[in-house]
Amino acid sequence: MSFSLPTESAKGRVREIELGIGDKKVKVGGENVLPFHLWEGEMPNRPIIAAEVYDEVIDEWPAALTQALEGVINDPVAWAKKAQDEWGVDAIALMLRSTDPKATDASADSAAETVAKVEAAVSIPVIVYGTEDLEKDAEVLKTVATKAEGKNLLMGPAKEDNHKTIGAAAIGYKQSVAAMTPIDVNLAKQLNILLTNLGMEADKLIIDPTTGALGYGLEYTYSVMERLKIAGLFQDDSMTQMPLMGNVGFQAWKTKEAKSSAEDYPEWGDPVKRGIIWETLTGVALMMAGADILILRHPESMRLVKKLIEALSA
Amino acid sequence: MEETCKILFQPENEYIVVKKGENLLKAAMAADVHINASCGGAGSCGKCRVVIETGEVERDPSPKLTEADIAQGYALACRATIQTDLTVGIPIESQIGDKRIFARKEPVPVAGHILSAEEWQERLPKWDLSPSTQKVHLTLDSPSLDDNTSDAERVKRGLSVNAGMRDVVVDFPVLQRLPNMLRQSGWDVTVTVLDSGEELRAVRIEQGDTTARQSAIAIDVGTTTISAELLDLKTGTVTAKASDYNAQVAFGEDVITRIIYATKGTGLAKLQSVVVGTIWNLIKNLVETADIEYCNVTHIVVAGNTTMMHLLLGLNPKYIREEPYIPSGTFFPWVKASDLGLRIAAGVYLYALPCVSSYVGGDITAGILGSGIFNTDKLTLYIDIGTNGEMVLGNKDWLLSCSCSAGPAFEGGGVKHGMRATRGAIEQVRINKGNFEPMILTVENKRPIGVCGSGLIDCLSEMFLSGVINEKGKINLDLPTNRVRATEGASEYVLVGAEDSATRRDIVITEVDIDNLMRAKAAVYAGIQILVHSMDLEMEFIEELLIAGAFGRYLDIEKAVTIGLLPDIGFDKIKFVGNGSLLGAHLSCLSKELLVKAQEIARQMTYLELSANPGFMDHYISALFFPHTNLEDFPSVAAKLAEVRAMQSAMRAQDAGNGVIA
Repeated sequence: MSFSLPTESAKGRVREIELGIGDKKVKVGGENVLPFHLWEGEMPNRPIIAAEVYDEVIDEWPAALTQALEGVINDPVAWAKKAQDEWGVDAIALMLRSTDPKATDASADSAAETVAKVEAAVSIPVIVYGTEDLEKDAEVLKTVATKAEGKNLLMGPAKEDNHKTIGAAAIGYKQSVAAMTPIDVNLAKQLNILLTNLGMEADKLIIDPTTGALGYGLEYTYSVMERLKIAGLFQDDSMTQMPLMGNVGFQAWKTKEAKSSAEDYPEWGDPVKRGIIWETLTGVALMMAGADILILRHPESMRLVKKLIEALSA
Repeated sequence: MEETCKILFQPENEYIVVKKGENLLKAAMAADVHINASCGGAGSCGKCRVVIETGEVERDPSPKLTEADIAQGYALACRATIQTDLTVGIPIESQIGDKRIFARKEPVPVAGHILSAEEWQERLPKWDLSPSTQKVHLTLDSPSLDDNTSDAERVKRGLSVNAGMRDVVVDFPVLQRLPNMLRQSGWDVTVTVLDSGEELRAVRIEQGDTTARQSAIAIDVGTTTISAELLDLKTGTVTAKASDYNAQVAFGEDVITRIIYATKGTGLAKLQSVVVGTIWNLIKNLVETADIEYCNVTHIVVAGNTTMMHLLLGLNPKYIREEPYIPSGTFFPWVKASDLGLRIAAGVYLYALPCVSSYVGGDITAGILGSGIFNTDKLTLYIDIGTNGEMVLGNKDWLLSCSCSAGPAFEGGGVKHGMRATRGAIEQVRINKGNFEPMILTVENKRPIGVCGSGLIDCLSEMFLSGVINEKGKINLDLPTNRVRATEGASEYVLVGAEDSATRRDIVITEVDIDNLMRAKAAVYAGIQILVHSMDLEMEFIEELLIAGAFGRYLDIEKAVTIGLLPDIGFDKIKFVGNGSLLGAHLSCLSKELLVKAQEIARQMTYLELSANPGFMDHYISALFFPHTNLEDFPSVAAKLAEVRAMQSAMRAQDAGNGVIA
């Protein structure tokens, strides 16, 4: 008698969500299995990788990053094109760092202009992220949504206290929304309910569960993401069936381990490899927890994660 | 039978049958007919004008109602007492320009009811009137040289021969009085014997036959209110009732602040003397009301939470508050009332019903006894909602309890215009789903001062259903009404304008209030979920839900379910116990069998410490939503919500058709 692997089939399915429109369209989600449990069901779309592109880099980034981004770091359009053409990413995650009221405080109009330029320059979908300033994000994303009417950008982060403005703009100007909550299954579900009650289609929503980097709360993030997936798949909970997005680059490159120089910690080894590995491991862990979209910063991390996705899909 | 009257409201075309003598505004509220009412029924705002088209009402005079008005059939609904069947027309001004009529498909469900005394008896096993103290009349042979046994032995022999009481211990004060008492009375005495369950003790001796006069007192020592009953032990009936605020309130509103006070200096002695003072005043009141002698009282049974029992008995409550939350004891011996400073009469002993843990007290033990859960096959959930929400799940085979800190929000604490359910407190609220105007009723129909617990629950439920607040409790400032407004602190909804309130200030519900209430309801619901899930059960398996506590009586079940305080398991399964603690003390007073039962209950009840439960926080967060993050667990609320939202969008469509700009 041959042994057959026991399988568990889910009654629910992650919503299949489209980013972008027309030729740029990319689908995410749609799986009815836990990540890469391909023997139990299907995963019509592999997790996608979005390259982080900043409209302004004002923080001090380690050499590992500045070297890899040389020539494009101050030019979001070029950066996005390079990510698309050379690194082969599936989407661009444009971070509107310039709008931070605690720093440059660029206007919503100027940010919207950058978004339009980047969007026009690439043939892949664009994710637009603010700075987590509730009021400014609402203002900026509203303008962005208006100017990019019908482009189906994935805009975020929408939080409980500004979801109304961002949601209304997304509904009015046909964009999608990434809803962000602080590492909690229930809060994530609640925000999805609030957004759908507002009139947002559930198929236009992505969950940003807030992610921690390796060594900085990764376990917690992992279990919350896994629980969201399980609720969506096995309890068929329609308000947790949105694809999950992991904002990896931002979190991973904040860590001391990723950004410290060789002079400061010679015993930690090559700082370039160290940072890349830190980001890659965080990304892979989140992917195994159920992330459908991974936002990464270093091109080498993108390559490594992609390679792993291919290996897991083989 | 009570006379009833049928009231027809027009143009709503809604019927309701009420008792003759009912207030017309109350009837309208019960029928779910909206009449604008801002002053809580004080008759001062004059907004609830209605026309009595047929039938008779009695009108209280009001400056807002002229002779000419009356001649035309006008009445103020809040100042009108129903005398006959009526047809009541609601003029347009009382509907605040809202001419839209929507027929409701279902009649308003009558949610829950308070069980009558007979119904309670059915829940209990058969029990006899056999109190812990018994008076025995003895006519003893006088001693002689042939019969030279001691006085005490002679009394003991008498008790054994006459009442079958063997090995009675004679209390020292009784022994001291014995020689003179026996001889003065001519060897004709009545001895009161206390059966403590461990021994028989002669606790009092009186001249002659006093067996016809015997009473006991049952007391519920609440953190806020103390209630007492005087019971005639010959008939088992209540001869007087009294209640008053626990004077300890002056030293802190909740158990935690009292514990802190008690642990400082002479705090404990102070709190003990204060609560004894309140009890003494109540006893005086009872004795005077019933016109009996203090010495008729032979024992007292009290029930209260663990902290209250510690403070009454003078036990150090310090460790109740500190992890791992250990009380001095959960079972207390019979103690002399005089040892607590309660100088009622010689030889009166007091028994405090046993507690389960630091936060599930004798009041809960008493409630389980009184509500008969220990005697039923039905899976029952018992909830006592106060500052602490205690709950018990089980039946005759097992009992599981827990306690969650709900906070004082439901008692009006931590709420800007919150108050207790005293005169002028808004206790009922309805909010029009079309124009967001409120309709309120206050305790004793006085001008509103603030909002009490039931009013707050009404308010939340109505604000949520009408869309004034969202699922997170945030006020929707985009509504076309000036009742909602943003302020420097938090957004708020104006329930009563300054011109109609007794305080001459707006009475509002703020987002902060809503947050506090949300947290309280979430803690209670999460506790219920933990109990149910710990036994691997589902909410729908609960066959009966009993609500105790003073709060319970005024609670509108449907509204409490709408906000997600109580599980949505069918309104007919939910019943009110009233003061379960007093009921249990009462029964324990009358029957030592039931008192023993209470001890068994306390011993058998399992206590679940929520602070050690990893699932609590998760359940709590999911309950921080109206009615709950998992709406599918609240099917009746989901249905109601869908109905109201459909009605509202129909109204908006109608407005748009009429060219009204929303």
